[in-house]
Amino acid sequence: MTVHVRYFAILREQRGLDHESLSTDAVTARDLVQHLIDEHGFTLPSSLIRVAANGVFVEEDYRISEGEEIVLIPPVAGG
Amino acid sequence: MFRLTPDPIAIEPFDSESAGGFVSFEGKVRNHAYGRNVVRLEYEAFSEMAVAEGDKLIAEAAKLHGLTKVQIVHRIGILEVGETAVVIQVAAPHRREAFAGCEWIIDQLKWRVPIWKREHFGDGTSEWVGIGDEKQVSQSNDAFTRQIRLPFIGEQGQQKLRDARVLLVGVGGLGSAALPYLVASGIGSLGIVDGDLVEVTNLHRQILYAANEVGRGKAERAAAFARRINPHVQVQTFPERIDSHNAERILADYDWIVDGTDSLETKFLLNALCKRLGKALVTASIHQMEGQILTVIPDGPCLQCLFPEIPQDGCVGTCSNDGILGVVAGSMGIYQATEVLKGILGIDGLLSHSMLLVDLRTGNSNRLTREMRENCKGCEGIVAELTPFVIQSLADAESRFGRFDIVDIRELDETPLLAVAHLRQPRSELGDLSNIELEGPTVFICATGRRSFQLVDQLRRAGKFDAYSLARGVEGV
Ligand SMILES: [Zn+2]
Repeated sequence: MTVHVRYFAILREQRGLDHESLSTDAVTARDLVQHLIDEHGFTLPSSLIRVAANGVFVEEDYRISEGEEIVLIPPVAGG
Repeated sequence: MFRLTPDPIAIEPFDSESAGGFVSFEGKVRNHAYGRNVVRLEYEAFSEMAVAEGDKLIAEAAKLHGLTKVQIVHRIGILEVGETAVVIQVAAPHRREAFAGCEWIIDQLKWRVPIWKREHFGDGTSEWVGIGDEKQVSQSNDAFTRQIRLPFIGEQGQQKLRDARVLLVGVGGLGSAALPYLVASGIGSLGIVDGDLVEVTNLHRQILYAANEVGRGKAERAAAFARRINPHVQVQTFPERIDSHNAERILADYDWIVDGTDSLETKFLLNALCKRLGKALVTASIHQMEGQILTVIPDGPCLQCLFPEIPQDGCVGTCSNDGILGVVAGSMGIYQATEVLKGILGIDGLLSHSMLLVDLRTGNSNRLTREMRENCKGCEGIVAELTPFVIQSLADAESRFGRFDIVDIRELDETPLLAVAHLRQPRSELGDLSNIELEGPTVFICATGRRSFQLVDQLRRAGKFDAYSLARGVEGV
């Protein structure tokens, strides 16, 4: 299935993109995040990356569906 | 019509057929001022100018508030206590305009019409109080007329802002932007926490500070900036770095906390303490050209509901390492000020159940809904590794406090006897906790550290910030 992923802050930096559409066989948000960590070498563990689907923060067992916008948000410290 | 008179003022009939609301204001000489006994007053006017300015004022009031008729008579010369110094009569179609117009006129009159007042005190001394004198205009809304016109502010909203107590934790890039707007909007009391000195590398984004202020304390310079904008703002400075030991005390007197720090540890500490103390927190962070902002209210989801695992500082980058553009910090700081104003004024749309992500490079923003998490440590006001009141050993307490009291709260039948305790006060006999007075730092001890933790937690929620709990109880002695 295809999902649209947006990256923020350090994830965007490490991915080198702010958004992309990708096809995935991930079932849950957890699967997708782990897959992206492995593929792009994100330095944050999955426990520190929050996922929002279609504008709402979801838990890691959330089941993603075709065409959804998935936003990945790390904590940010700067001030 | 504006008139000056050396004679006692007789209130004249005042009619206007197109008006339904009539308000008359009489200002009289009272027997005290600023805590001193006043025996008489003396008014002196620059007559021509006072009349010209008074008539101008009336024309403006009529236009601004829709008044159909206005009359002002001001007394000059010597007046005894109880005599009438000024009478303002206004007429308007409805009472609301009449009240508002009359109040506006008296504020303006004191501010700009050249009439000076000399107060003669009971001890024989006297003092001139000029136009525009700080004491006289302290309650004036002149500076805020443009925002008072907004239907969701009005005089009532302005009063809410004046009564508000806002604490800025950190006056760096975010705080620098939030402060001027909060003060200019009429926030009455402002606390400023920052232990840093102004550095030359701050100047590109921390716009409160000028190049010639490098090396000076940020809290103090920020306070000076605030007073320049509004001389009536009450400012309290805390030139220290906020941490788990001083945070509760610093937060105690404030209702809205603006987190302008760049430390995740501090953000999560503030989050848990605001939950504990029932305060509202607006927290924001920036990363290069992006910002995140959310608001935590006492009965809403907190920062830790969103990030249950507290990230370590350093894992996500900081301004000093990664760089930051001033306008990004500025934009997010102004968003924070906006949240505070919305919260105080009760305007809908607070980010209390969402987080706003702003990307200033692309212009995109995402508002993401967030919810409460069950058993959230932050919501409970407890963050184990940050819990400020747990003492690991009595030696730690000694090095931290020097002198402190030790209270054993075990029941009387519990053993062994603890020789170090200054007082044995069983928990079951403590009664109403709000009546307990602590004389300096006090360490409470129980058998395991659990009961003392709960007790200290409750004491601190009741404002007793000198209470500490010994970890592991008697075993930890
Ligand atoms: Zn929470």
